[in-house]
Amino acid sequence: MKIPKLLQFAVLVLIAYGIFKAPGWFGVPIPGSLIMMYMFFAVVTILLVMTSTEKSAQELFTPIKALVDDPSKAMTRNVVFAVIPIIGAVIVFNQVKPSFEAPVELRATHPAPPSTLRAFNKSFNIGTLENPMRKLAKEDPAKFKELVKEGGVVYYRNCFYCHGDKLDSKGHFAQGFNPLPLPFQGKDTIAQLQESFVFWRISTGGPGLPKESTPWLSSMPIWKDLLTEDEIWKAILFIYDYTGNVPRSWEK
Amino acid sequence: MATKDERYDKMAYEFIKVSITAYSITAIIGGLLAFSLFMFYPDFMKYMTRLFGPTMLAYALIFFAESASLYIYYYGWHAMHYGFLKWVHLTIGLVLNAVGTMLMFLANSWVTFMLSPGGVDAAGAFQGDIWKVIHNFLWNPINLHRFVANIAYGGSIVGAYAAYRFLSARNETEKAHYDWMGYTANLIAIGALLPLPFAGYWLTAEIYAYSQQMGITLMGGVFAWLFITQAVIIGALFLSANYYLWCGMERSPGAYRYTKYIKYIAGVIAVCFLVWFTPHTLILKPWELKTLGGQYHPFLGPLGIMPAKNTAVNNMLIFTFLSFLLYRRANKIPTVSWAAAGSAIQAAIFIAAILNIVYLGVYYGYFTNTVYKVASSVPQVASTLTVIISCMVIDVLMFKGAKDVGEFRWGKMPQRSQYALFLLAVSFTWLMGLMGFIRSAIRQHWHVYTVMRDNSLDAFTPTIGYAAKVVSIATVIFMAIVIFIFWLSQLSAKKQEDKSKLHPEVIPYEPAAKPLKPETETE
Amino acid sequence: MKIFFRVIVFSVLTIVLYMLFATQYIPPINPAPPPKEEALNLGAMTMPQFIALGEKIFNGKGTCTLCHNPVVKRAPLLESVAVRANERLKDPRYKGKAKNPADYIEESMREPSAYVVAGFGVTGTNDTVSPMPVITAGAIGLNDVEVKAVVAYLLQLGGAEIPFEVPRGQPVAEKKEGQAAAPAKTGAEVVKKYGCGGCHKIAGEAGAIGPDLTKIGAKRNVEYLRRAVLDPDADIAQGFPGGMMPKDFGDKMTAGEFKLLVEFLAKSK
Repeated sequence: MKIPKLLQFAVLVLIAYGIFKAPGWFGVPIPGSLIMMYMFFAVVTILLVMTSTEKSAQELFTPIKALVDDPSKAMTRNVVFAVIPIIGAVIVFNQVKPSFEAPVELRATHPAPPSTLRAFNKSFNIGTLENPMRKLAKEDPAKFKELVKEGGVVYYRNCFYCHGDKLDSKGHFAQGFNPLPLPFQGKDTIAQLQESFVFWRISTGGPGLPKESTPWLSSMPIWKDLLTEDEIWKAILFIYDYTGNVPRSWEK
Repeated sequence: MATKDERYDKMAYEFIKVSITAYSITAIIGGLLAFSLFMFYPDFMKYMTRLFGPTMLAYALIFFAESASLYIYYYGWHAMHYGFLKWVHLTIGLVLNAVGTMLMFLANSWVTFMLSPGGVDAAGAFQGDIWKVIHNFLWNPINLHRFVANIAYGGSIVGAYAAYRFLSARNETEKAHYDWMGYTANLIAIGALLPLPFAGYWLTAEIYAYSQQMGITLMGGVFAWLFITQAVIIGALFLSANYYLWCGMERSPGAYRYTKYIKYIAGVIAVCFLVWFTPHTLILKPWELKTLGGQYHPFLGPLGIMPAKNTAVNNMLIFTFLSFLLYRRANKIPTVSWAAAGSAIQAAIFIAAILNIVYLGVYYGYFTNTVYKVASSVPQVASTLTVIISCMVIDVLMFKGAKDVGEFRWGKMPQRSQYALFLLAVSFTWLMGLMGFIRSAIRQHWHVYTVMRDNSLDAFTPTIGYAAKVVSIATVIFMAIVIFIFWLSQLSAKKQEDKSKLHPEVIPYEPAAKPLKPETETE
Repeated sequence: MKIFFRVIVFSVLTIVLYMLFATQYIPPINPAPPPKEEALNLGAMTMPQFIALGEKIFNGKGTCTLCHNPVVKRAPLLESVAVRANERLKDPRYKGKAKNPADYIEESMREPSAYVVAGFGVTGTNDTVSPMPVITAGAIGLNDVEVKAVVAYLLQLGGAEIPFEVPRGQPVAEKKEGQAAAPAKTGAEVVKKYGCGGCHKIAGEAGAIGPDLTKIGAKRNVEYLRRAVLDPDADIAQGFPGGMMPKDFGDKMTAGEFKLLVEFLAKSK
């Protein structure tokens, strides 16, 4: 059996919509603004292909023409002519109805760090800063293990309330924040960052974020006022160690 | 050049007639622009006149030469139609184009001087060498970019004209003629569009080389989103150009053999297009932000960076070329013995190039250090060019003396396909306006970058949205003028046809760059 | 006519679609307004405020961070420049005349080629020419006070002592020529301000490119000195090549400064 062109069109559009929506069911939605653009061009492309030959264009448009012209289709016509304005009205209503959602904002999660960080009464050069304890991983594994363990203590005393006991950002308080605390699990989070960046983020917290990360400043505390330099470095060792990630190193 | 096709002659004559009106309107608008500049920016213009005085005089004089050659070319069309005089006429046509290009280059030097002043000291005082002022840092990149773009733009306007005449054609002959004209114009436009991105790369690289600050303002700062807009429009251009080719296959009775591939080509182009305009920084609703846990998307994020875009655009070019190849062979059956092998080689080249491009994009984009991220672009472009050149050569050899499936039917085009040509012309105009805006806007608060500051009270750099509105209005006005010009030329259409029937003789003349229209300056 | 309207409607729709995309879809980002010259009240400024001003200029108007940043590394990072300045001053490749880190930093801003950090020179010059743009004129156009503020900031960044006070008095408005400072009040100041000591041995400085001027007043009269400043190539001192001395001192100096300078030279006996 040959599927009518118009039905083919509708099915294809639905399939495209399904493909774009599918990631959302697995927790990584494609943003609505982008789906709108994707769908626009998907529909246009399907239309272009379907009208690229005279024959298929005819097949596509004949039922539509018939709907308008054919006296025998009066009932269907009336239904369609009633339903289309209603669909339009629903869309318009949903677009303009007031909502409590905060306006869309462009926010950089990992903004470019400043070149220097002032903390603990000295200046750190973020461009070259390295974790002073990192080298122990090779030189003195036993000592390194000890430090990681101490870092774990720091983490569970301070960080886990938000970042979670499995470092997956599902801590007790996590849902109360906007923006959400970031997870450390996964290969595309802290693995992409240098330790100096992490050190900067921990040290200055939410208030230390530059303008591109506004307006919703993260509620992360300014840890340099609460922890010592060594404690921060140890906690960093711990979060990399626990998640099995290796910090990005400086290009040589 | 020595094609013996009467249709080129007819097309050229038709267009030179249009150009006469366009020419006077160009002069009027140019005058308007000059007067407004002198009125609104007297100090700035005083400075520019002091510097460029001699070149402005030269400009006026060359304009005379342009007028003279245009009028001789137009009015002498029938007087110089045979033998030696035909060659004289052709030469005048070439002079017309050369003089026009010179005019553009001169005007370009004023614009590029504002971007990258040369031949003056830090305070803007003239240092005595006018050539250095003209030949400033960005002059040649802009010259090349505008030269290529003018050909593409001219082609698109001719295409729109042909499309309109096609739609309102009263008989089959007329229809066939304008169908052919639209096809040729489209081919010129798209042919010139393909190298345009590379001219653009060069210009951008030179802007970076001239001033890091300017480069960063252009690509990374407030104007970054402008390039998403540009990507969307260029993607739309590619889609419509392909659509025109697909519809054009209706002209060939043998096209049924290839129409089944259209949907796959369309699928690939659509996917490439979607990758192309996926921005790196996403606009997220709060709930999306919450679900994602951050601004960066785990699998859309990687599509936002340069290697993905390069991969997408190269594939888009390759598949557009594939559409063109299918269109070419739609009506032909090769007679050479190695036809099957030839097709297989072409297919192999295509597959190898696509694999190479994707591999380069993925490998350099995601498995090497940040430093090498752009290293893939040159070999990718090389692959694309290899495909286009080698497959074209094979194709030409393979279809030498090929058998036609049936009669090729010019004019057998669905009406809707003509709207692809309108889209091309409108999009080009709009995009040109927008890119003109960005070219001006990167100067920010400078009239002449680093030399003369715009100190007027209300000085500001418009947002993209503001510029888009101005550009839209300018496009509408421009389109209205173009329609007026075409309408004028149609007034005398009937008489002209009678004349042309009396002279079946041929003048080979290929329409090159159209007469130049000063780009709208957005301050 | 029907076709005409169809085409018009199609074209206008296309334009409107593009416009809607650019105005509604694209996030509106306002370009920054033109930078304003800081209205400084130097009289009331403390050193920390002055350093903060320097930081602001360093990250903003001065556009220093476009190159001096750890990501692009187009220029050396400046976090420890104050510490490293002492090594630089001892380096045989150093061509400037600074004696301490503060002067070294200021000099490297005004004459970046005085010392080019290895690997950062213009390609092909073997690190003798710096690619750094002019910062006291042109697009950046810092005035003397702003330069000083950046110096203070960089010194503080590296943890070094700041050997100078906050400059008092109003900053001179931006001048086209980019050289902006209060007029000098004594002849010696004029000599210093225009860098005569870069070439001449004069007023305690020991340049070796031009003639020794410590006793010039004994040999030459006022008229000669006047001409030598305004039109240096009119008379060339024996043993020195002509055409070396800039010819624009007459334009740069105020009339008062010129008078002071000539008097100063005439008195140098």
